[in-house]
Formats: sequence, structure tokens, C-alpha cells
Amino acid sequence: MTGADLAAIAGLGMTRLGKVYGRSSTSLAAEAVRLALADAGLSLGDLDGLLISGGIRQDVGVSLAGVLSTGPLGLLAQVNAFGASAGAMVAQAAQAIAAGVASTVACVFADTPLRPQRPAGAAWGAPKAGAGGAVGLAGWQLASGATNPNILYALAARRHMERYGTRSEQLAEVAVAQRAWAAGNPLATMREPLTVEQHQASRPIAEPLRLLDCCLVTNGAVAVVVTAADRAADLRQPPVHLWGYGQAHQPRRMLSGSDWGLVTPAARCGPQAMRMAGIGVDDVDVCELYDCYTYTVVVTLEDYGFCAKGEGGAFVAGGRLAPGGKLACNTGGGQLSGYYMWGMTPLSEAVVQARGQGGTRQAPRNDVILVSGNGGILEHHATLVLSPHRRRGNAA
Amino acid sequence: MSARDRAVGPVFPLVARDEASAAFFDAAARGQLLVRRCRIGGDVLAPETRTCPRCGSADLDEVVVSGRGTLVSWAVVHQAPLPSLVPAVPYISALVELAEGPWLLARLVGSDPAGPRAGAEVEVRFVPSGEPSAPPAGEVLPVFALVSAPGTGADAATRADGPMSEGEGRATS
Ligand SMILES: [Zn+2]
Repeated sequence: MTGADLAAIAGLGMTRLGKVYGRSSTSLAAEAVRLALADAGLSLGDLDGLLISGGIRQDVGVSLAGVLSTGPLGLLAQVNAFGASAGAMVAQAAQAIAAGVASTVACVFADTPLRPQRPAGAAWGAPKAGAGGAVGLAGWQLASGATNPNILYALAARRHMERYGTRSEQLAEVAVAQRAWAAGNPLATMREPLTVEQHQASRPIAEPLRLLDCCLVTNGAVAVVVTAADRAADLRQPPVHLWGYGQAHQPRRMLSGSDWGLVTPAARCGPQAMRMAGIGVDDVDVCELYDCYTYTVVVTLEDYGFCAKGEGGAFVAGGRLAPGGKLACNTGGGQLSGYYMWGMTPLSEAVVQARGQGGTRQAPRNDVILVSGNGGILEHHATLVLSPHRRRGNAA
Repeated sequence: MSARDRAVGPVFPLVARDEASAAFFDAAARGQLLVRRCRIGGDVLAPETRTCPRCGSADLDEVVVSGRGTLVSWAVVHQAPLPSLVPAVPYISALVELAEGPWLLARLVGSDPAGPRAGAEVEVRFVPSGEPSAPPAGEVLPVFALVSAPGTGADAATRADGPMSEGEGRATS
């Protein structure tokens, strides 16, 4: 694999996002696939590959093909690498296309965790052992109180703060910058300006994390259509070329010497994808980084090599990631202010930016776009390098 | 146990044993922390470990450890992740490195929320789970306290006035 013309994203489909009630994840997924095909100027008859991933509810699967009444498929699978699923799906689609087993692959994510009259946090349901029913070592772990991502990411962020002096006000810079970008995104949930002071005044959830360090919860679905670069060039939308991809995983190591929380699999995955793409971090114009929490952005920037380990807090300070800053990052508001579609949030915004369709939020340069996906508790990672240009002949 | 007049439930949710955890909870009831150990390399591992991360062996036995260690990280939890933890907030969840090497997730008790620091010395304490005054009694749970911290056990665990207000469309529970 040379990295040249791996494949291209030819279509993007997004349903209504947010408090979309009364529809199943499967119904939304089907709509997103239809929208993505129409966006590309293709029809269901063109589709010969379908990759499907679910979110918090994990209630969408290969039955989607029947719901869509597709024709014969050469590729059909449910993919779950948590927040890394979107990047994993696009890479798998590119591999299938390169191998000739499929020519037009839709990759879709759908989730419906929000319910009317129920707090967003209830989206993460209780473990099997409910009130009064905590059993065994799992029960002891439940009693530790560290039972959801808020608390486990707080442990990671605190570790970084203790080791490197990172401060909550620096995490706030991530939230503030993304909110400023969100102002230009009609699809974003939170668009009113945000200040560091407002972040600091938001209620603590699991210190050091405050409410405005945490992502939103969203109902909806997003799909992309992946096809060969040559074919994409003849379709309706400007092609978004895939220059490189990577995937890296490291289950949490719970013993002396573990770097969990300080270093993530992005440290292996980012360089791998950038090597495949033939670029370095200095070539990156836009970052679309998975942001389940503000801290995830900080640690991912470090692991990708935008700054040295431990300097992420200082790196994001001073509005570097905001509109007008040195590094356009999470230009749609991300999952903190935009919408929570797991890895499809950064990927969908990357497609918009690569096409130059960002409107008032369009980044000044878009030649190289770096996209991340993160899952588990900083345990799963996927990276994509995208560009409006073909890799061959590009002077990146 | 002291009166907890603002409580709406136990500070440590009721935990029951199963067959696999019987030895762990029997040890805790005796005031001992039982963890696992790799029979190949001798590495001491967390109680829930199935495979030795150093050598890949699944041949693990059990060993009582000192219960002393250091604080790797901690989180001050204000918004309970589960209904059964609502009576406990605010509480501290800690990541502890035992002197023998393994990392444990456990509650940190007996400390001011502003007090912990990475690397601080901690030691195991044992607390009852469930409502001590109301049967059925839960298993005894290992928790940790800063070595310098005054007070021990569940009585010293901090507690809030009540449940925090809920959700604003955020991924918090
Ligand atoms: Zn071993």
C-alpha cells in the first residue's frame, strides 16, 4: 500500500440530530445511508458494501441491509471499536475496495440514547447489577464508584494534571474554542459564546472534569459512502481522498509502570496514518479530533506529535484551536458543542471541510485534514488522513 | 457507625459475594486484601485479573498483600453514576498502586477532597457495604485511606447534602 489514492469519500448523509424522538436507530441509519447515496449522486442499486456501527445503545446491526432492501452485497458487517468505529469502518471499506470485493461501501453510525423526560446521563444505563444487586468482584468495583466514563476520564485527566501541571483552565480552552467554531455550524447543539470563566463556573461532575468538559448526548445517524478515487471524481460531490489510515488499541494496563491516561494508542496510530499518507504533523491544516472530553483533545494532540508529551495544556491555551488560531480544530464544535455521533462527528466535519462547504466556519486551508476516533477509556484509536486532493502529484 | 441523618441509602452500596469472589470477601472480612499472582513470573496482579499482562499466563493463584501503596490518581465524584451511589456523593474514586505492583480502583475515604496528591501513601481499610443497621449485611469491602489522613473507614467518608440536580443534555449521569 503506497498511500496513493486509497479510496475517497463520495457521499455524506446526516439525519436530524439531537432530540429526535420516536424513531429507532435502525430507521435513522437507513435514512442516513439513503441521504449519503443521494449526496453522492448514487442509488441503492449502486451499493455493494455496508458497514454498520451503533453507539451507546448498540441497537443497530446487519438487519439494516434488509431494511434498506439492498441488492447483492460483497461486504456486510457490524463494526464496534467504540469511538474508533468510524475510522475503522472507512479503513475497512478502503481495503475492500482495493481488494475488489466491493466498489461502493456505505459506513453508517446510528444511536438513540436520548429519551424524552429523562436526564441525558441516564443514557449510560446501570450495569446488570442494579440497586442492591452488586455482586462479586464486579460489585466491589461498582462500589469503587468509578463506574462510568466521566469518572474514568477524570482519573486520566487528573493524572496528567499531577504529572505535568495541566490545569482545568487549559481544558476550558478546548471547550471555548470549539464553542466559537460551533457558532458557524447550523447543526451544532450549543452555539452561544462560551468563556473560560463560564467553563470554570459549570458544575463539577467528576473533578477535575466539569459539565463543560463533557460531551453532549445525541440521537441521530450519520453515513458516508466510500468508493474508488477514480469513480469518486465522476460523482456529484467533490471527492474527499483518503491518504492514510491507522488503528491502534491498548487495553488499560492496571499495574506498576502503566502509562494509562498519559499516553494513548494515538501515539502509535497517528504516526502510522501520517506515514501512509506521506505527511507529518506540520502539514496538517485541520484537525478533527474525537472529543468525548476536553482532555481527550489535549492528550491526542500530544500523542500525534503537535507538541511534546505534557505540553498539551500550554499548547491549546491562548486560543490556538479557535477560529483565527494557528490550528483549526474541531471546526464544527465537535462533540462538546456540536453533536455526539462518536467517530462520525469528527469524520462528518472533516468531509465538510475537505469539500470547502464549511461556510462561515470553513478553515482557511484544508489541504490535509487529520481525523481521530477514540474509544474505551483512551484504549482504542483510529486515525484518518483526508484531503480534497489526490495523493499523487500533491506537494504535501 | 454514626448516624447519617441525611442519608437516603448506604455510603457503600450493598455488595453480595458469588462463588468466584468468596475467597476475596472472606479475606476482607478478616482484614486482609487478597489479590492474584502469576504462578509463572510471580507478578502480583489486581483481584479481577484473568491473564498476566507481563507473560500472558492465565495460571494465577491468590496472595494476601500488604495493603500499602501510593495514589496514582483520583476523581472527586459529584454526580453519581448509578442510583445506588447517589447517597455517597461527593465521594472520591481512586486509582491506587499497591506496593506489590498492581493497580486497583477503589474508594478513597477519610480524606479532605482537597488533600490527595499523586504519589501520596495510602493503605487499605475495610468497610461494611449496605446498610449496617438493616439486614441483609453486605460483604466487607477494601477501600483506601491516605496514610496521614485522620479518621478511618466509612464514617469518615464525605457526603453531600443530597443528590445533584440532573442532566442538561450532557453525557453525564
Ligand atoms: Zn506472568
